[in-house]
Amino acid sequence: MFDNLDLMVEALATGLLVTLEVTAVSFTLALIIGGLLATMHVSPAPPARWLATAYTGLFKNIPLLAVLFILYFGFPKIGIPLSSWQWAIIGLGTYTAAFVGETLRAGINSIDLGQAEAARSIGLTFGQSLRYVILPQAVRTVIPPLGSLLTALVKNSSLVLAIGVAEASAQAQRLINDNENRFDLWAVIIGVAICYLIINLPISYFIRRAEKRAEFAR
Amino acid sequence: MSKDTHSTVLFDALGPKGAARVRSASITSGVVFLALIGWAVYKLSLKDFFEQSRWVNPLDIMIIENAWLPALISTLQAAVLGSVGALALGIIVGMGRVSRFMVIRGIASVYVQFFRAMPLLLLIWIPFTIDGALGTAGSIGLDQDGRRLFFLVLGLSVYNGAVLAEILRSGINALPPGQAMAGRAIGLRHGQTMRLIVLPQAVRNMLPAVLAQLVILLKDTALGFAITYPDLLHESKIIGNDYPNSFLQVLLIAAFVYFVLAWGLSKVVTVVERKTRRKLPKGTATVTASMPGQTEAETITPTPKP
Repeated sequence: MFDNLDLMVEALATGLLVTLEVTAVSFTLALIIGGLLATMHVSPAPPARWLATAYTGLFKNIPLLAVLFILYFGFPKIGIPLSSWQWAIIGLGTYTAAFVGETLRAGINSIDLGQAEAARSIGLTFGQSLRYVILPQAVRTVIPPLGSLLTALVKNSSLVLAIGVAEASAQAQRLINDNENRFDLWAVIIGVAICYLIINLPISYFIRRAEKRAEFAR
Repeated sequence: MSKDTHSTVLFDALGPKGAARVRSASITSGVVFLALIGWAVYKLSLKDFFEQSRWVNPLDIMIIENAWLPALISTLQAAVLGSVGALALGIIVGMGRVSRFMVIRGIASVYVQFFRAMPLLLLIWIPFTIDGALGTAGSIGLDQDGRRLFFLVLGLSVYNGAVLAEILRSGINALPPGQAMAGRAIGLRHGQTMRLIVLPQAVRNMLPAVLAQLVILLKDTALGFAITYPDLLHESKIIGNDYPNSFLQVLLIAAFVYFVLAWGLSKVVTVVERKTRRKLPKGTATVTASMPGQTEAETITPTPKP
């Protein structure tokens, strides 16, 4: 029992770092694209709204794994070769962006109509009323759902093992299939479970706290 | 302009000048966008992306019968069984979450916390691997295919059961407390209040959120890939290996089938949502799963004003 524990911990720690890295980079990408989508969702120009709706509908109804496969296995066939790490970021980022966009839009819509009317009636423009009146209030309401998206992304990042990124789950898989060093099955399982719990449990704790605060802020 | 009141309050009904500006901006961006698409199509056609044989070959009637259809059936089978399992577990754990007994509440809460923090991929793959090491499934007479289906369904049920339990709990909590109090006041016991007053209303309120989660479950059957369950995505990769020239096309076809399934189901959700919204007691909050699904991140329904 517990042979090669140091080797196992080392491998899982490397995997955990990759998971954190992939999550952080793709979440940043998702926030940027998602912010753009939310702006398009509420914009005056109809084509912008159509485009945002089409994007969201597309990514919400296709499995993430299919998106990753199309990018990683399919796109090199039409001459766009990128590394598996880059495709992982693009896949996770564009996919999560659809949900970020929806969340931000819901946040904007959750602000009382009177706020927007008041902002408009004191002469602020579309951009100004978004920036000074709507968004500061919307941000507070969207932080809990955005946190949930982040935990979902941490979990989703395990899928990139299918396209060859060595994150935590991939390391666990490698350890268990390693016939040379004979890692203990249960130790690896407990190890990888701990990896995800130490990322996600603190996030959900902060979500709950932020939710409580948002209740008072209204 | 648009009928979406929420977004239109942010800007005035435009005057002639503004309307002209928006129109020209729309047209310019539309043209730029179309040009980008045109350029992409041109580039793709240079790579023979649209060549007919690449699309038609993997859709031969033989292959549809022997690969696509069985794969689709496997996916639907896993989705249906997984939904049943997830609903059953969700009801049990969800009732545990609102139990009067602290121990039961504690156990249910640990279950939900743990399984919502774990990636679904691991929840499918780890039990499968443990079973592979111990050989339990073989000893009770499950063959390889049955074993894969069982562990895919198990993972889907355990994970989505946790999510559905949260939806059930928030559905019960969203009801105004006066409903349960009124039940107790007219002399119903706790169980009777639950069964006769709280649950019928809570279920109606949370139905859209539950259905939305089932759409996610359908998409998540693709994770059967991890244990080589012959679902749509896994099979499409095999078909793609047989037609290396059509690899991307085959994957796109599979993605399209998923899209049609999930989109069709989510249309049903919208209809149900519209039907249920009217019949709720005053002061009922909207049910959203506070932690979204695996590949989903769903159920953030645009919240109507309280």
